[in-house]
Amino acid sequence: MELSVILEQTVDEPKGRVEDRRLLTGKGRFVDDLKIEGQAYMGIVRSMYAHARIKRIDLSTLRSSPDFIAALTGEDLLTEGVATVSQNQWPPQKPAKRYHLAVGKVRFVGEPVAAILVRRKNALEDLIEQVGVDYEPLPAVTTIEESKKGTTLVFEDWRDNVSQSADQKWGRAESAIASAPNVIRAKLGIARQESAPLEPHSVLARYDRGRDLYEVFATVQSVHGLREQLSSELQVPEEKFHVKVMDMGGGFGSKGAQSYPEPLLACLFSRRTGLPVKWTATRTEEFLEAATGRDEYCDITLACDKEGRVVALKANLECDAGVTGTQNHMSQLSMWTMLGGYRIPNVDVQLRVYATNKMPMGPVRGAGAPEGTYFIERAMTIMAEKIGIDPLELRRRNLAPRPGQWGGGGPAPGMELIDALVKESRYQELLKWKSEVNSRFARQGPSKSNVVVGLGVSFRGGAGGDFDWSEESGESESGSGQWPTSEGEGAGDWRRSEAEDAPSPSWVDSRGEGDTPTLDFTSEYARVTLDRSGRATVYTGSSPHGQGEETSFAQLASEELGTPLGDVSVVWGDTDLVPAGIGTFGSRSAATGGSAVVDACRKIKSQLFGGVATITGVDAKFLSIRKGRFSSSAQTQKPLPTLADVMEMMGVTEVSTESYFRLSSLDYAGGAHLCAITLDPELGAVKVVKYVVVEDCGRIINKTIVEGQLHGGVLHAIGGSLFEKLAYDDQGNLLTSTMMDYCIPTALDSLEVEVFHRGSPSTATLDGVKGVGESGTNVGYAAVMNAINDALAQVRPGARIDVAPATPDAISAAIAAVG
Amino acid sequence: MSGKNVKAKASGLTEVFMKINGREYRGEVEPRTLLVYFLRDELNLTGTHVGCDTGHCGACTVVMDGKAVKSCMVLAVRAEGAEILTVEGLADDDRLHPVQVAFTENHGLQCGFCTAGLLLSTLTLLRRNPHPTEEEIRRGIEGNLCRCTGYVNVVKSIRAAADSMAKQEVKGWS
Amino acid sequence: MIPRRFDYYSPGSLQEAIQLLRQNGEAKVLAGGQSLLPLMKLRLAAPRALVDISKLADLSYVRDEGDYLAIGALVTHDAVEHNGTIKDRFTLMSDAVARIGDQQVRNLGTIGGSVCHGDPAADLPTALLVAEARFALEGEGGKRIVPAREFFVDIFTTAIGHDEILTEVQVPHLPPGSGSAYIKHSLRESDFAVANVGTVVTVEGDGKTCKEARVGFGSAGPTPLRAASAEQYLRGRPLDKETIAEAAERATEGANPPSDVRGSREYRLKMIKVLTQRSLGLALSRAGLTGSGAER
Repeated sequence: MELSVILEQTVDEPKGRVEDRRLLTGKGRFVDDLKIEGQAYMGIVRSMYAHARIKRIDLSTLRSSPDFIAALTGEDLLTEGVATVSQNQWPPQKPAKRYHLAVGKVRFVGEPVAAILVRRKNALEDLIEQVGVDYEPLPAVTTIEESKKGTTLVFEDWRDNVSQSADQKWGRAESAIASAPNVIRAKLGIARQESAPLEPHSVLARYDRGRDLYEVFATVQSVHGLREQLSSELQVPEEKFHVKVMDMGGGFGSKGAQSYPEPLLACLFSRRTGLPVKWTATRTEEFLEAATGRDEYCDITLACDKEGRVVALKANLECDAGVTGTQNHMSQLSMWTMLGGYRIPNVDVQLRVYATNKMPMGPVRGAGAPEGTYFIERAMTIMAEKIGIDPLELRRRNLAPRPGQWGGGGPAPGMELIDALVKESRYQELLKWKSEVNSRFARQGPSKSNVVVGLGVSFRGGAGGDFDWSEESGESESGSGQWPTSEGEGAGDWRRSEAEDAPSPSWVDSRGEGDTPTLDFTSEYARVTLDRSGRATVYTGSSPHGQGEETSFAQLASEELGTPLGDVSVVWGDTDLVPAGIGTFGSRSAATGGSAVVDACRKIKSQLFGGVATITGVDAKFLSIRKGRFSSSAQTQKPLPTLADVMEMMGVTEVSTESYFRLSSLDYAGGAHLCAITLDPELGAVKVVKYVVVEDCGRIINKTIVEGQLHGGVLHAIGGSLFEKLAYDDQGNLLTSTMMDYCIPTALDSLEVEVFHRGSPSTATLDGVKGVGESGTNVGYAAVMNAINDALAQVRPGARIDVAPATPDAISAAIAAVG
Repeated sequence: MSGKNVKAKASGLTEVFMKINGREYRGEVEPRTLLVYFLRDELNLTGTHVGCDTGHCGACTVVMDGKAVKSCMVLAVRAEGAEILTVEGLADDDRLHPVQVAFTENHGLQCGFCTAGLLLSTLTLLRRNPHPTEEEIRRGIEGNLCRCTGYVNVVKSIRAAADSMAKQEVKGWS
Repeated sequence: MIPRRFDYYSPGSLQEAIQLLRQNGEAKVLAGGQSLLPLMKLRLAAPRALVDISKLADLSYVRDEGDYLAIGALVTHDAVEHNGTIKDRFTLMSDAVARIGDQQVRNLGTIGGSVCHGDPAADLPTALLVAEARFALEGEGGKRIVPAREFFVDIFTTAIGHDEILTEVQVPHLPPGSGSAYIKHSLRESDFAVANVGTVVTVEGDGKTCKEARVGFGSAGPTPLRAASAEQYLRGRPLDKETIAEAAERATEGANPPSDVRGSREYRLKMIKVLTQRSLGLALSRAGLTGSGAER
């Protein structure tokens, strides 16, 4: 497989992003910045118990306050006919009856029990304090172990506390392990962690009584997603909701799929009172309620032959999903990620997702891929140590030969990434440096100036490298909980742009023939208009909140239409202006959203060139457009018309096309990471001193933006490996509910992350992009944890820490645990 | 530090005056009104943000009497008579401040929520220490959390700002 | 996020402040607010009145009074951090303030505020206990001086009377041949300590015998504590790697750290020992000596 190095960008990358100016001058419009005259303020009364019956809610003191306007309880919502909290069924999960305001029972500390509406913001917390709730505490299920026992059920209408189960089996793992010369076993895990974007959740809703419609500004990664949820939960037609978001202070998954009660409650209050309703979470509420992630554990057995080729993988995966969330695919994605990177002929994996009395689980940057990558990559490094070969070499020997089930169209870049990592990280020099430092340590012993060095690597081939051997081995049993694969028609191919024989992606002619196709996570919507002067507007279903699509999509349109960057504007985050969309999450916007933009642009060109062809007789394939003027690479008899001429002939003042673009398969960036840490063994303190990323995100639209995503993603993984943990006591109380106690990295904890680009364009996406937003996090955990363990081995052979975060206390205990 | 002696009852409103971005502002606040809410809710200066409850995230950082402070940890009544600079006061009409230019040219922001606070911490850092080392930069912005950038391009932006401020005749940019 | 209601006073003089405190039984003094306001925002503290002394200009100074350094109660942590005299003569204080919160917090937080807040996990109380500081208090009944040893009474509780205001911190000069150091260990740099230890060593004219040693730690009891057993052990002994290590072993006597999300009790006890060792070594090196392996 020949792989090319980074492709030349055809459009100049602008210095600075379009969105920067307003954000730098304090003119961003985040939801809490917005005000509607006369707005009232909503507050939530939250459960003090992890599990309890609600005996009584006393609002009497409240009602005498001049600031009090209205209150809602769970019973009120039932009376209004509000449906239960949305729960997606891909993959299938046990239906969990959850309510926007608890009914009869509370199931996690922080669960909303009542909502109040007050006149003044300052009065809100005063009045929340005056709501009296009587609880009858019940035993709380606070660990997977307790959940397994099933003595207390989180949901009484379930037989047990299992929310999902999925098994993957092919070949004969048990016997392969029994006869393998090299077998390792490890208990791996990542504690409960969360997205923690800087901007808390917020909503401003206004019900227009005159027009019977809801205007909703909300911190969401998909306005269309929220619209759908509100519609189905409030039992009101979708078109009644006008959902908007302008600027948003990060999401990382927490503002994505999860259906939170507040937007619905705000709509309800507004409908009842006629007032606009504002709600903004405190950071404490963020910690109590925002959908959390990770909390996944893997008891893994990996077996290799004499040469280190994997022959079998057996694993038990367990996940604590809290009261279970709207979208709960993460642990299954972990499972597939774990299985997809290498050639594994015998597999026996069992996954169980458990319900507990904790806040719901939802996608958190990587949404299962960091966990799965961590499990397999940690196991591979442990195996490499056992066999006594270089960890990167072990990867080389096991790369999957071709893309598979999760595969994008692009070839697997594994070998190239690994080779590049060795080169760009100056691997041999690092090994030498490590050896020098560690021998000095061995001689002199621990002290402040004597630290130990550890190196760790991690690799993920990306979707292009994921592989399902079950097809080849022919011995598979189809596992339960099989992930539904997307059924796309045809692959996009960004190199075959205007070719006549380009396969048609699944889209609908913009002039309205055919049914409006539905969108799902493999697709995205775009509409592009080009006016007579050559100015373009892109309407996208994507919803950027830091990822820069306002700039990168403008670059794509500029490239396709030949319109100068400054004459392209990008519109998103408004269900009125953008009729359909899936949103921004899961590393999909540049890849899927970008493809839709390119598709719509190409349709414009197709229409326009068709018009020019009609007028001049020149074949469309010779035509191009730049700055609103046509040119031909072939001789023309007649002079080429202007853009205005063509539009006049078409009877329009602007050309507008739509794309509901569906990928034939998803495609994600692969990466090979190296992390170097120093460990002060007496303190157990880790410092990350070097971090190198080699990534393949395919075609790069904006290199600075891509690198920024990787920097941020890697620091997420560093934070998750060193500090971050949502900790509970045995009553289910959250002990880490402030930014003092839940530690996200500061500038002192970060470092200069070096990024190098390799690989080849995706053939699944029309713009050649492979989604990279989560890649840094996906690959990062294993690199850091492997580095820490490498250092531990120098201090105390046999000392290991396999559950993240590796805090100083945990590291110190790991050292002490061995002799 | 000037400012008259204030006596304010819990249930009442008290008048405060302060100079913000060179302009005099007057408002009425409860004693418990935090400076950040006074700025955002009373004066509609929404560029300064609230990201946490406990004064850890730094998104609310403004410059008060020449020092970077977290406006969520300052009572509006305490800021009576003070001179305050918020993000809205950095640019000179259309002309961006060198710090703002450095941040956009070096991709020092992604979602932009922490940016206002970071810009002001940067400004005060560079005023005091025009040529900071990397360590000094990181220490200087320790109180400004960012979840998007990994701080890599933030540090780069601050270095660039230091360079450009040193080069320019920065009259009026102090 | 929004505190409970309170009356607010910003008196023009110390006397007025004292009077206000006497008149309001539930009033609290507000200085920098960097410790008090977060508690009030979480509604863990809800004083009915605040007496804001932050604008009393005559409480902000650093003066050498001959045998001690007088630091006005409203001197900010940032000012302490950048004070050359303090860095030279009381290095452990410089070490300590540099680790308090972050720049914004240090810009407003005051030495008096930190001391009166009485948080055993905080940096200055521990450092000042080791420095054997004295605190000048003024109230309706007049002025008095309370040594640090008697000042920190319990967790968040000090010997200060309700109507008293801490006006000055007096730090006695260390004898010649002294060095000091303060080390804090925490998960992230700006976090509260998992363990924090301050030390002072004074060496005899021979350059290696310990004339006096002071070891103090925080985060392991309701107040910062001195490790008397470790101090006693070192007195009269040569200061070297072995004796320092032995002293460190004794440093945890009387320590009773909690187990919480930042660290377990076992870990914290271990860290007190490690930090004691390192702090003593650093203090010794600052005393201008290089003993046999004592300097790390």
